[in-house]
Amino acid sequence: MTMPSSPPPSSPLPPARRRKRSPLPVALGVVALVGLTAFIAFGNLGKSLEYFVTPSEYLQQRDELEGRPIRIGGLVKAVQYNPQTLDLKFNVSDGGASFPVTYNGAVSDLFKEDQGVVVRGQFSGNTFEARELVVKHSEEYNVPKTQAELKDLLQRSE
Amino acid sequence: MLNLISFQSSALGALGQLALLAALAFTLAGTWLAVLGGIRADARATEAARRSTWAVFALMSLAIMVLLTALLRDDFSVRYVAEHSMRSSPTWVKITSLWGALEGSVLLWAWMLAGFTFILSLTLRRDSLRPWALGAMFVSLLFFVGVCATVASPFTPVASLLADGRGPNPALQNHWMMAVHPVLLYLGFVGLSVPFAYAVAALVTGRLSDHWVTVTRRWTLVAWVFLTAAIVAGGWWSYETLGWGGYWAWDPVENASFIPWLLTTAFLHSVQIQERRGLMRSWNVWLIVLAYASTVLGTFLNRSGIVQSVHAFAGGPVGPVFFGFLAFLLIAGIGLAAWRAPQLRDDGDPPSALSREGAFLAGNWLFVVFAVMVLVGTLFPTFIEAVQGRRDASVGPAFYNAFAIPLGLGLMLMMGVGPLLPWRRADGQTFWRALRPLLIVGVGAAALAFVLGVRGAGVLGTIALSAYNLLGLGLLTARALKQRREARQVGGFLSLVREQPRRYGAYTAHIGLVVMALGLAFSGAYRGDAQATLNTGAAPRALLHEQLQLVSLREEQKPYGASAIARVLIDGRPFEARLNTFRQAPGTLFPAPAVRYGAITDTYLVLTSIDPAGKWASVRLIESPLVSWIWWGTLIVCLGAGLTLVSPRQVGVRRMAAGLAPATD
Repeated sequence: MTMPSSPPPSSPLPPARRRKRSPLPVALGVVALVGLTAFIAFGNLGKSLEYFVTPSEYLQQRDELEGRPIRIGGLVKAVQYNPQTLDLKFNVSDGGASFPVTYNGAVSDLFKEDQGVVVRGQFSGNTFEARELVVKHSEEYNVPKTQAELKDLLQRSE
Repeated sequence: MLNLISFQSSALGALGQLALLAALAFTLAGTWLAVLGGIRADARATEAARRSTWAVFALMSLAIMVLLTALLRDDFSVRYVAEHSMRSSPTWVKITSLWGALEGSVLLWAWMLAGFTFILSLTLRRDSLRPWALGAMFVSLLFFVGVCATVASPFTPVASLLADGRGPNPALQNHWMMAVHPVLLYLGFVGLSVPFAYAVAALVTGRLSDHWVTVTRRWTLVAWVFLTAAIVAGGWWSYETLGWGGYWAWDPVENASFIPWLLTTAFLHSVQIQERRGLMRSWNVWLIVLAYASTVLGTFLNRSGIVQSVHAFAGGPVGPVFFGFLAFLLIAGIGLAAWRAPQLRDDGDPPSALSREGAFLAGNWLFVVFAVMVLVGTLFPTFIEAVQGRRDASVGPAFYNAFAIPLGLGLMLMMGVGPLLPWRRADGQTFWRALRPLLIVGVGAAALAFVLGVRGAGVLGTIALSAYNLLGLGLLTARALKQRREARQVGGFLSLVREQPRRYGAYTAHIGLVVMALGLAFSGAYRGDAQATLNTGAAPRALLHEQLQLVSLREEQKPYGASAIARVLIDGRPFEARLNTFRQAPGTLFPAPAVRYGAITDTYLVLTSIDPAGKWASVRLIESPLVSWIWWGTLIVCLGAGLTLVSPRQVGVRRMAAGLAPATD
């Protein structure tokens, strides 16, 4: 193959005088950099993974998930909302299991019984303390039958 | 099978579809001619391929004009118009509907790609790279025009004619920024196809022409400016319309546009090492191939629904097709680069650590690691699902911030070191002497901030490195001015900029990045956020050291939807926050926050809920410091990058005689 045609910079030394530098320090530096970054990230990764469960799934995986940030999805039951204090209490249910949820913040008047909802937050004891609500409005709404179906419905309308 | 041409098509639909199919035919012919011209070194075949690009561009322009006409004339016999437009939309929404859904956005993409190929055909030099660069562009065109003419054709007819269309996606009607953000993003993505084509040509021929660097740098820079503007515009749209007071959520699709940005930024620096020293040739080719592949990956993620995201559009058959193209690009590109890149020989040793190219290289590694980490975070949930079988895990912002902040600070550190160092090799003592005042000022600035009550490590680091960068650039400029005076040259700062636009453009872009970094650090760390319910006619209520009073609530009806508007006085200044509903999605509320931009703090009021009887309204007040610095910083970055494209004013031989550095930097 021909050499590239860009003119070499005018160097005082002819190319024959090149010193071969060992690539070791560069390689070590790169490995250290990648290792450090990976350590920072993956050390947190286990903690920062947020699983999405339904109430029944949470019942089964309770030991593993308690106190961790998770997303829980299901249908809204027994809504109590005080618009003046913005305190919201409701139960999230998938037909099999149901857990009380507390949240402080405004919800619109579209937040109703049997509405699909995904809540971010964590469990403290039996109560789910919500940091964020994602309300689902599906046009053709019918109560889903299986866990997977419910999840699909909630994901689809996200 | 696909119903590409049928008797149910309207005149417009048939014309558009025919234009697409003809463009596809010319693309196929052009691909074949370009490869033939490359293999046989046949100038006539290459010339024919070059002219095919003109036909493709003309036909794609016709197709896009046809779709635009159909949208503006409410021709609901065209399926795309029936599904994504309606009579009552304002004209600007009808125009933006052109790229508001999948088929239209692929058409826009293909049209831009055809346009860039056309421009390229006019600027290509007659060297051995020419047929291969055209061929690589044709392969990209083949994919996009092919998708456009077949699986994602906007011109397929509707089964039954409707009196009115289904209307555009409400999220796109909510803010004008949505009209701008995708266009900028596609310009950035498509712009990267040109450097990619040059890289492929260099790999196939195993040589780099003498203007390879110049051309790829310019094209990449243009694409990079669009990409930068697009990413920030997307953040601004998010800030203005989603009502959460933030601008960046590490959403998979945001990441998908950020990864190409990181790789492209790395390339813009490493290409200068090639230009000045003839080093890093294969590295540069690799970077460009990966940057272009990452844009296709981004589009694939965006359109396939493989990751959950606010952007994920329903894709249909397009996901697998994009995946196929991505796989092809990765296999072909990486295979080609692995096979031929070692033949792109460098002119000398690898860079020494203490030199400008050493600093650029270190920065490059940071960029690449950053990009890899973002990619890992984006794909990790999908990976978990495949391995553990647990569905729907997601990685929160905490994961990203854990590495993005240190890496960002590391990049700011390198950003200050690079300009200080000379090319080739620096003398350690001189360098240390240049660096010392910067370090002192940086530490001093951080100490001052600490005394004033700043406590976050990330914010303190950003303050220190901002002061260090600004001082460094200031000192360098001052030194250049002093040298001018000593050399008895006329003119001051402006002449300096005119003679070395690249150097001062880069300095400007760096200053813009510093401004942005300060905005990001402060708005991330010191955001105030509170919610309350206000009653009409009640006394003002305290929230985040402000007094809020609800003056009135009213409704506005428009043909395409309705708005509830709350007029709130914040410390006596009126704010009007809205909740919009659109006809297509009666069950969804789209907040339009009232934002008062300030140089120091933005006041951001979101209407979250209203009493149907009109007695109260719930609001959320968010106050983030220095958010507007992000937008202004971006503007400075783009201006600086634009300045680097200006040709330097020739001063002639006197400069060289004076022994100063040449104008390129």
